[in-house]
Amino acid sequence: MSVQGKASVRKPRKKMGIDRKRSLEAYIFLIPWLIGICVFFAYPIFTSIRLSFSKITSFKGLITEWVGLTNYEYIFFYDINFVPTFLQVVLDTLLNTPLCIVFSLVIAILINRKMVGRGFFRTAFFIPVLLGSGYIMKQLLGMGADGTTITTGIMVPRLIADLLGVSITEVVQGFLDRITVVLWKSGVQIVLFLAGLQGISGSLYEAARVDGATEWEMFWKITLPMITPIILMNIVYTIVAFFTDGTNPMVDYIYKMNFTNQMYESAAAMSWIYFIFALVLCGAAILLMRRHVYDSGSKN
Amino acid sequence: MTAKAVYKPRRFKFRLKRLTFSRFMLYLLLTLLVVIAGLPLFAMVCRSLMPLDELYIYPPRLIVHKPTLRNFSDLLTSLSSSTVPFTRYIFNSLFTTVATVLASVVVCCMGAYGLAKHKPAGSGVIFAIVVAALSFSVHVTQIPNYMVVNKLGLVNSYWALIIPKIAVAYNFFLVKQFCEQLPDSILEAARIDGAKEFHVFWTIAMPLLRPAWTTLAVFSFVNNWNDYFSPLIFISSNALKTLPLALQTLSGGAGVVARAGTVGAATFLTTVPSILVFAVMRGKVMETMSFSGIKS
Repeated sequence: MSVQGKASVRKPRKKMGIDRKRSLEAYIFLIPWLIGICVFFAYPIFTSIRLSFSKITSFKGLITEWVGLTNYEYIFFYDINFVPTFLQVVLDTLLNTPLCIVFSLVIAILINRKMVGRGFFRTAFFIPVLLGSGYIMKQLLGMGADGTTITTGIMVPRLIADLLGVSITEVVQGFLDRITVVLWKSGVQIVLFLAGLQGISGSLYEAARVDGATEWEMFWKITLPMITPIILMNIVYTIVAFFTDGTNPMVDYIYKMNFTNQMYESAAAMSWIYFIFALVLCGAAILLMRRHVYDSGSKN
Repeated sequence: MTAKAVYKPRRFKFRLKRLTFSRFMLYLLLTLLVVIAGLPLFAMVCRSLMPLDELYIYPPRLIVHKPTLRNFSDLLTSLSSSTVPFTRYIFNSLFTTVATVLASVVVCCMGAYGLAKHKPAGSGVIFAIVVAALSFSVHVTQIPNYMVVNKLGLVNSYWALIIPKIAVAYNFFLVKQFCEQLPDSILEAARIDGAKEFHVFWTIAMPLLRPAWTTLAVFSFVNNWNDYFSPLIFISSNALKTLPLALQTLSGGAGVVARAGTVGAATFLTTVPSILVFAVMRGKVMETMSFSGIKS
């Protein structure tokens, strides 16, 4: 409620009547949501920051003692699992994000054409979104307990495998695995790209065609520049999605730190390092792309 | 579908001729991609039907040769053998998911409507919080979240699975983008006719926002249905476990190897409701996704 008090002071005095009434109404509508977000989002966030810089001395009432950067020191210099897991996640993200973007853009362009069965293809690529993340996804993509991946023994027939030898087969298999995972994680991106493609005015293509441009040229000179805002949005979305995904080993490890090892302070510090890295990555993507993004007056 | 054709094919009468090669390649490529994307689903269905001896053949087999429903009956017996029957997990999942979705739709729509259509003082700050919240992972705040829920005395009850997931930033964001498009004149007309503000919201704004909140409902349903993270933290009583959590204990227990087929059957059962919900709402969802994509 303090937000409301502060806000009404800031208003110019003259228009107080109707404006203030409408603000009040708005806050009545907003109150349930605001309470929820404060209790289950804002307060935990601040507690988590505090926790990462302190040591719990008593669990009753959560009394903590400020210890500065000790927890961060611990996870970087003493914890043997944190740095390797973290690097692996970073590498995965850096590899998967561009793949994801390219794949979803290509698929979106393909299924944006007028053709038979367009609805079927659109739905088919969107279905993985529904099955969501977490446990089901893990089971489906075969990252479960037994360690076999979905394409094991399926995609590469024995005969070819014998001809190619073990190492090449492994590379092919790894590649197929990655494609499957990427395809499964680009449902939303495909839909966003489709929306972007449909927003490009047809007259641009018409004009280019009159001037004798080929499809290939039109892609590089019209489609790609016009779609840059969506590309940027998708890059940010993909990074966030990969980082917050339940199948991510880092998330698993943080969970283990919390509930198996019960090292809450270090786990909080880890989460923050992890989260800040995701933010930095998104920020870097935005900065790098900014110069190339076509600006039609819309945000993002 | 609102999707309009961007441009007409250049020579319409020659379409059949062009179908020969480039079209053929297009379909081939798309089908290949669909097959790759569909492979996990297909494998899941097959695994759930495989008899035990087929599950452990080396090299592993994708296609089931002698389908059996044994896994499903095994699933029922192995889950029900304890004090809690299998149907209880289904009820738990359904009840908490439906309650969360209903509450979330109403609360988020109300909030978004208030923010977008009344533009209260401080709306910029609130929207900034929403955008920040979008990029946070639940995992960052899991411990403090547990403490809050614990302090409210909700641990080990249905409420622990419902209340924390009502006010969700993503839902709010989606509806808010839609609210911006609502024409003020309709709302204004109702107000002049003497409608109370809540009445305006409930009988005029909500029906107009239907595509937005049906989509939200689908996503919310899918997310909450698949979520095993919060039950894992908040629920310890066996009788209150949700389906995904029950499945997880099933596959993580001592007899993991012997139960691979059962796990397959369980995974299959868990995905069915999500697909059903989507199948019913397909058109609306695709429309909304494209629409909100342009706007954000």
